Amino acid sequence: MFERYHVPIKTVPGRAAPIPKFTITRADNCVNCGKCEKACIYGVHKRSEQDPRKMADPVNHLCKNCFRCIQDCPQRALSMSPGSDYLSLGRGVWTPLRILTIYGEAETGKIPVLGAGYRGMFAGTGYDGMWTDMSEIVRPTRDGIHGREYISTSVDVGRKPGYLKFNGDGRLMTSLPSVMELPIPMVLDVTRMRVMSESLLEGLAKAAFGLKTLLFASAGTRLPDGYAGRSSQIVPVYPEGTDVRSAEIPGDSSILEIAYSNDWRSDARALRERFPKTILSVRVNASRGIESKVEELATAGIPVVHVLYDEEGLEYGNGDRHSKDSLRAIHKALVSRSIRDEVTIIAGGGVAAAEHVPKTVICGADVVALERALMLALECRNHRTCSEDSCPIGMKTASPDWVEARLENLVGAWRDQLLEVLGAMGLREVRRLRGELGRAIFLEDVEREAFSGIEGGDHDGKAR
Amino acid sequence: MTTTAKRDDGCPKVVPEADVVPSEHLKFVNRYTVKRADTCISCGMCESLCPYGVHKRVEGHVKILPPDDRKCIGPSCAVNYFFCVANCPTNSLSIGVSDTFISLGDPRWTSEIILATWKQAETGQPLGLDHPGNVGFSGGGFDKLKFKIPDKKGVVPPEDVCTAIDLNRRGSGEKIRIPIPMYGGGMSFGSVSVYTMLARAKAAKKWSTFTCTGEGGYPDALIPYKDHVITQVATGLFGVREETIQRTRIVEFKYAQGAKPGLGGHLLHDKNTPDVARMREAVAYTSLFSPFPFHSVYSVEDHKKHLDWAHAINPKALMSVKVSTPNDVEMVSVGSYYAGAHIVHLDGGYGGTGAAPEIAKKNIAMPIEYAIPKVHRFLVSEGIRDKITLLASGGLRTALDVAKAIALGADGAVVGTADLVALGCVRCGNCESGRGCPRGIATTDPVLDKLTDADWGAERISNLYNAWRLQWCELLSGFEMTDISELRGRTDLLTNGTPKGVAP
Repeated sequence: MFERYHVPIKTVPGRAAPIPKFTITRADNCVNCGKCEKACIYGVHKRSEQDPRKMADPVNHLCKNCFRCIQDCPQRALSMSPGSDYLSLGRGVWTPLRILTIYGEAETGKIPVLGAGYRGMFAGTGYDGMWTDMSEIVRPTRDGIHGREYISTSVDVGRKPGYLKFNGDGRLMTSLPSVMELPIPMVLDVTRMRVMSESLLEGLAKAAFGLKTLLFASAGTRLPDGYAGRSSQIVPVYPEGTDVRSAEIPGDSSILEIAYSNDWRSDARALRERFPKTILSVRVNASRGIESKVEELATAGIPVVHVLYDEEGLEYGNGDRHSKDSLRAIHKALVSRSIRDEVTIIAGGGVAAAEHVPKTVICGADVVALERALMLALECRNHRTCSEDSCPIGMKTASPDWVEARLENLVGAWRDQLLEVLGAMGLREVRRLRGELGRAIFLEDVEREAFSGIEGGDHDGKAR
Repeated sequence: MTTTAKRDDGCPKVVPEADVVPSEHLKFVNRYTVKRADTCISCGMCESLCPYGVHKRVEGHVKILPPDDRKCIGPSCAVNYFFCVANCPTNSLSIGVSDTFISLGDPRWTSEIILATWKQAETGQPLGLDHPGNVGFSGGGFDKLKFKIPDKKGVVPPEDVCTAIDLNRRGSGEKIRIPIPMYGGGMSFGSVSVYTMLARAKAAKKWSTFTCTGEGGYPDALIPYKDHVITQVATGLFGVREETIQRTRIVEFKYAQGAKPGLGGHLLHDKNTPDVARMREAVAYTSLFSPFPFHSVYSVEDHKKHLDWAHAINPKALMSVKVSTPNDVEMVSVGSYYAGAHIVHLDGGYGGTGAAPEIAKKNIAMPIEYAIPKVHRFLVSEGIRDKITLLASGGLRTALDVAKAIALGADGAVVGTADLVALGCVRCGNCESGRGCPRGIATTDPVLDKLTDADWGAERISNLYNAWRLQWCELLSGFEMTDISELRGRTDLLTNGTPKGVAP
């Protein structure tokens, strides 16, 4: 029976104390008149429960920056400042706002909706210098998000033959490779995480099962008992140097992944012989010339190439190319060899917000791997010095059910936002979005087109 | 108080007078803060020095009051002999940037712009062309484009400068000329209170320009201002009736909104109070998401059928088409012209909204700065540029933004958020849920909406328009222009950032 894919969401409160965006300071000259309590509709100001003659300390995380209390204070005893914990929360593409947004999405599972117009920087590097297209009047849109029209978010992982061969009797001669269909273009990847525990892994696995997607985990990580026979969605990832001829592989894995190395050809051949039904993926760190590496892998018949970028979404090494440009180069190289549809590209690293999923897909990835965003959904505080023992929120003590629910909320919210973008573009399925560069707007292009007659600027859209 | 004479031939020279509107409650924040350390001995030196009244001691009190830093002029005071910090015998005073000031605003609507807009709404006096409240620091678009303002000032007196534009440039139909190159954008009943709508309508009447109902129906309170209220027909068709289309002079078809291009209007359940629901013919306290798009419009021909239908109901009304800014926005604009539109209103990606998904605001459709030249050039090359009025909106915050939009190729602008800021909005962005705006502007809460007085608001908005007009006059006179239409398409008067080889 046909069942429409749906991510069930429910409100899952955080375990850690909320991080206030603003700090309200009450100076000594407060006369406890209580006008702030009347002014605030969010409950920041309350009388002290111990001593009702006095005002309690402001509940900063409820403050929404409306300035009503400051405006109404007859003593001018109140002042507001940006929350210092909030400001120090993020860095690079992982801005404090994005991290707080992920916390919210993981808590509610809902699309963040706010009043007032856009309030950030005009544009920026990487995905910030890119807009998606929309349709109106001359092209139809899709009204997908409220379920009034169906938009598919399914993608295929695996190799697809470019064409089918039949013999004279009409019998199919092409041997069809294994393909796995995922209902969302997002997979979970925990191979680059620094904190891991049994309960955390159990929660991640439960989320992957619930979402019907894949979990990439280092080979050898074992699921707790009770998950036997369900590990087909767990992808074991073998690091460079593993002897794949003797490596143990869980019997029911549908995909396995090895690292790109000098021996990848022989490794791939050996694995194909040992596990002919299993889809083989090769992970490769993006660096200068990544497009020729991917081309090499694809022409050699590797079904899935998993390209890794750093936390900022940049290539490794000296190059500062962002995945936006890197993926476009890979996509174009494969298209020019007429093999783009035969290989699945998974891209991971620097996916920090819901909009990065459709943008990564537009630039040429089939599937987007979520990594750090998963940890942030579990209220990771994004500390520079991260270790299991110093974790301020005790990440490894999170219960599997809580982990599962938070992750499903995050992915559910991101999928809904993907539907919004697809609907606005008028696309019926996310497969059509991949490499659809003509439906994107790139900063350097519009800057050149619109402002080329205007003096100044370098017209390449780069920040100066 | 005089009102503008509507003349088809010339330019309305008489505009409403500006009067200071009492707005003490909005003076809660200053750029600077003055701190007094515990080492103060309350000698009273600072009180005797400061001419602005920052330092005060109540008669008979021993201790001096905390500094009233709203009146402080900041560190630049150091050049004065009466600078309190330098003269304090115990070195107890310090001046710095106020944390509250930093907490206000964002890169697009900076605290400087908000305070400058409040000041203009209070006094009706324009900003200098080099005031920091003219541009934001978002680092692109209007914040990077700058006018090459010549040194000579006031070559043409403001009363000889014409800032009027025509809304109907086709051969037939009512000629409508508005004395300032802008009108108010659609904000629905539901997203904002009826008092806010009334304030905008009253200001629009005073200025002989327009405001727009938005998609939430036409409250009866606006009927006295019907000659200055545009009826919007949006995809939800909320509250659209034959009589609301018949009583208006301009019908606006909203195909898309800049803040949420490709998505329908959002009114979250909390704000759909019984009054709003009655107007929208919906069930109270349910979330109302308009469909997207008009499911009856999938081509320019369908679009023409839409306009024809409105034309049949009200043959006199001008047709405005509000569209967002996709890649093919120029095709949409030309299509709109051939379907019979008088006004093409481009709403760019960074526009205002009462509620929109955050992902849509930044990421879907291009900013208006890129769309205007694209559409303008295409309309010119199609030979129809002078038969249609091109209005721009979506992130136009100040008078200079409007002037830049015109220099890029628009005829005029549509403004929404600036009106709300004139009413005291701080852009906190909490209009969408709960009781709505805590400041009583974008709310439907029966208690909170009383915070905005429509007459007071109308004066504030009118003052803002006055300040803007004077600023345009100053700009145009610097360029030795006498009519704002001369500015259209003059990209040669702009620079994009700091030109190469020129010191910033």
